[in-house]
Amino acid sequence: MNNSNQTLTIKEQLQACRSKEETFKTLVTLSKILQRLSSEEKTDENKVKGCESAVWLIVEESNGIRHFNADSDAKLMRGVLVAILSLVEGKSVENIQKINLKSELAALNLTSYLTSSRTNGVLAILEKITSR
Amino acid sequence: MAFDPSSLRHLFPILSLQAYDHPLTYLDNAATTQKPLPVLDAIQDYYRNTNANVHRGAHFLSDRATNRFEQARDTVARFINAPEQSHIIWTKGATEAINMVAFGLEHLLEEGDEILITSLEHHANLVPWQQLAFRTGARLRVLPLTSKGEWESEFSHYFTDRTRIFAATQISNAIGTSTPLQTMLDNAKLQGAFTLVDGAQAVAHYPIDIQALDCDFYVFSGHKMYGPTGIGVLYGKSHALDVLLPCQTGGEMVRHVSYQATEFNVLPYRLEAGTPNIEGAIGLAAACDFLNIQDRPALLAWEKSLAAHVYFRLHKEGGIDIYSPEKNTTLVSLSVPNIHILDLNAYLDSQGIGVRAGSHCAHPLMAQLGVAGTLRASFACYNTLEEANRFCDVLLDAIDILGDE
Repeated sequence: MNNSNQTLTIKEQLQACRSKEETFKTLVTLSKILQRLSSEEKTDENKVKGCESAVWLIVEESNGIRHFNADSDAKLMRGVLVAILSLVEGKSVENIQKINLKSELAALNLTSYLTSSRTNGVLAILEKITSR
Repeated sequence: MAFDPSSLRHLFPILSLQAYDHPLTYLDNAATTQKPLPVLDAIQDYYRNTNANVHRGAHFLSDRATNRFEQARDTVARFINAPEQSHIIWTKGATEAINMVAFGLEHLLEEGDEILITSLEHHANLVPWQQLAFRTGARLRVLPLTSKGEWESEFSHYFTDRTRIFAATQISNAIGTSTPLQTMLDNAKLQGAFTLVDGAQAVAHYPIDIQALDCDFYVFSGHKMYGPTGIGVLYGKSHALDVLLPCQTGGEMVRHVSYQATEFNVLPYRLEAGTPNIEGAIGLAAACDFLNIQDRPALLAWEKSLAAHVYFRLHKEGGIDIYSPEKNTTLVSLSVPNIHILDLNAYLDSQGIGVRAGSHCAHPLMAQLGVAGTLRASFACYNTLEEANRFCDVLLDAIDILGDE
């Protein structure tokens, strides 16, 4: 989905946010670069359970490398998905599992999306990304 | 009239908090209200000066705790005009109270009996009846709203000679619509059904006269009426409480126990197994006292005027679907086509505005309205016109930011 240069940009954009409002606006901007899924891909099987907004995540693996495609009906969640996928796209499961995704996302000012409250299922998304 | 919320707002210290450098604007009062100083003080005072277990030891503190606890029951009884304090059963909240009735009446239901609810019910006044129907072979029936969100002019045919239980909310938590309760209760009584009214959304706003309402059971939660969480009330008429089988047994609810048999205690204790939520009861009584000294019609008129103001402003703006009534309600429930309510909610939150976005524990109602959920701003007596306007301004900003693709 993105090369390391872009990863840096996404990271930098989110790290530069000094308020909840700035993070919100940055996520809205980031949401626009997410490649949307087709309606055929939005199956029950691809749906991540535990999210109040609908989230679909497709994990594909070739030659030990994982590729991700995701979508959500909520714009902010699409921005969060861009941030998450920028950390893991094109990496091996082993390397993904070495990343402390929770602390990486916290460093991006996304801590409020990491609570286990029912309003978001980011933890469920992280689980699907890292599971074997 | 001109009620001024600043006359009591200072009693709610939490409202002066800042949220992310913005003044906290709390508009999620239908979920739970904030607590005034008299309630906070009553709870603190209980632990500082009164704490002991009730109804047991005969010592200084135990007597004092028992007196305050039973005084609280009396205060709550008078608050809803119950004829006797033994008709007030303490519960964890409205949900537990409804479950106690659904389990307690199970022994009277037969296959083919009917349980009637309305399409406005919170899951708390739906799932316990549905499960009771599953257990007994009874049939759960639903008295629906029309597609316009109104009640059918004639709904008496929903009440049949098989209707054994009629359970309805006084006010919808999701969209603020009131039920024509008196007519519905009259219909239910004609068929000899037990009647239960869920007053969770009503007690903070409307004075309740349980004898005028004349239902068999009335339930509510303390935390939605400026009281603490974890305490609620099951009111019942004598004959109705008498037939309820206790769904919890143990200490406090017994008179004599042997290995062969147990003699249950009298009401209200028969339905209150275990050490009760003493601080909760005392805190709830303080909340009743707080409301009793207010000009309640003025408070209600103010809350309604805030909701009507928001309705009017947003309706004029256009492009917003509003599900709550134009007037005579204390909340505004809405959605915006093509914008997710969670996105709207997140922007409001970033500006320090707390509302509720979701299905409001009313999935069937949301399905009937054809939405996944709504954004709900709900008002309490301490909310200001400035806050109502701020909600509108920030919501419109959010729509601007989120609307462009």
